[in-house]
Amino acid sequence: MATTLLLEGLTKRFGSVVAVEDLTATVHPGRVTGFLGPNGAGKTTTLRMLLGLVRPTSGTATFNGKAYDELVAPVREVGTLLEATGFHPGRTARDHLRVLTTAAGLAASRPDEVLDQVGLSGDAQRKVGGFSLGMRQRLGLAAALLGDPPVLVLDEPANGLDPQGIRWLRSFLRELADQGRTVLVSSHVLPEVEQTADDVLVLAAGRLLRSGTLAELQSEGGGGTTVRTPDGERLVELLTEAGLPGRWLGPHEILVQASPAAVGELAAANGVVLHRLAETAGGLEDVFLALTGQGRP
Amino acid sequence: MTALVRAELLKLRTVKLPLWLLLTTLALVVLGVLATVLTAGLEGAPLQRDDPALLARSVASASSGSVVILVLGILALTQEFRFGTATPSFLVTPRRSRVLVAKLIAIAVTGLGFALVSAALAVGLSAVLLPLRDGVVTWDRTVLQVLLGVVLVMVLYGPIGIAVGALVRNQIAAVVGSLAWIFIVEQLLVALLPQVGRWTPGGASSAVLQLGDLATTRGDLLPVWGGALLLVAYAVVLSLLAARLTLRRDLT
Repeated sequence: MATTLLLEGLTKRFGSVVAVEDLTATVHPGRVTGFLGPNGAGKTTTLRMLLGLVRPTSGTATFNGKAYDELVAPVREVGTLLEATGFHPGRTARDHLRVLTTAAGLAASRPDEVLDQVGLSGDAQRKVGGFSLGMRQRLGLAAALLGDPPVLVLDEPANGLDPQGIRWLRSFLRELADQGRTVLVSSHVLPEVEQTADDVLVLAAGRLLRSGTLAELQSEGGGGTTVRTPDGERLVELLTEAGLPGRWLGPHEILVQASPAAVGELAAANGVVLHRLAETAGGLEDVFLALTGQGRP
Repeated sequence: MTALVRAELLKLRTVKLPLWLLLTTLALVVLGVLATVLTAGLEGAPLQRDDPALLARSVASASSGSVVILVLGILALTQEFRFGTATPSFLVTPRRSRVLVAKLIAIAVTGLGFALVSAALAVGLSAVLLPLRDGVVTWDRTVLQVLLGVVLVMVLYGPIGIAVGALVRNQIAAVVGSLAWIFIVEQLLVALLPQVGRWTPGGASSAVLQLGDLATTRGDLLPVWGGALLLVAYAVVLSLLAARLTLRRDLT
């Protein structure tokens, strides 16, 4: 079931424009990997190369060693959501899925099952032309799930979703990753990624700037974990001994450049009471802006 | 491949357009038969009421929908790009030539359906109306040959449309260009330069439908088998060109 995605030296030039340059990265199963970058960074081109829609100028992208167009039953192996425009406006949601189901040779019951999974059962017989952007995203996600694939490649899936939809998407992606699937999600909405992703790939101007765990990247930016404790002096002492310098945010609040797990474990091991332990949101944004050059004045 | 063809047929069945185009086809057939029946025997008309080929000529109107099935072929292909459904199609079937072949087969099957309904309507209408206008109704081998020609033309115009759509990609340009070609360029060529016109798809269709003396004053179209071969060649060559030139493009 577990599938690892490998991008090796992936490069795409459109004429003299370099859209993606020498991108090498690994996307692991059982984790949600956020694919970050400002608009025009080359995220969509990368995903389209991964899926065989755009031919790389050089380099390869493989799923457990196989290129997308070498997969025997691609729909059963990789689920994809690319953009919200891949629908005929005059076709119903259910018929759209029936076409894909028929072409892929899947069980005829799949369209109704995935529509139910994404909460669109009530709109199955409606034409897609009348759908909101959020409903189209859900339908696109339903299409991605048709083959019950071990890999999901989703391009900006949170686009057009309302807050409720975004929260649903977040727990949905988490659930898929917890089932051991490989989930690659592109986004330019950082707070969203911070709440969803385990790993991140940061792309800007076609180049991969960072790849690693979210916590690693967050800690780079001076973000990390905020802790509230009645016993602050003691905790700062322990943190300093452990090589994790803390910074006071208030009389009982400390900012530490470490993961909540590291801080929590240290506190527990030494019997320090914590009243709050949270990842800070600012970290990723700062790193991201610094990396992509957008944070400079 | 069967699954892909079924998916392509399902694509056609799940939108309204083909139904409207079928109704348009039948309306054109009725107009075609009426025109033949009503003008036969008029002064200067190419057909007389006692012409033994009268029924065959009238029944040839069953091919009126060839232009409609051509448009359906163009739209079936160009809409995939216009609405972006080409992306899911190629994600399900990364080998794009398979999608193209499935589309060609599906539209040919649809053309066959259109042809059979059109033929039944044209035969029935002609058999009823011709006697009312004192026209002779001659059931002979020519009628059968013309009906086979109708089937051939209707089956091949859809794939030609798919190929044209794939080559042009712009929906409006493909449709307008094809209609201008059929209704202006081919008409002029067949009438004024028959030695060129008979090599066009329209000239080949007229040959298959045995409309020589109606289509050109000099009657110099290809023989029936020649027209049939030429039409098949158009469909095959255009499809191969489409596969070669269009399918390899990046889908951004």
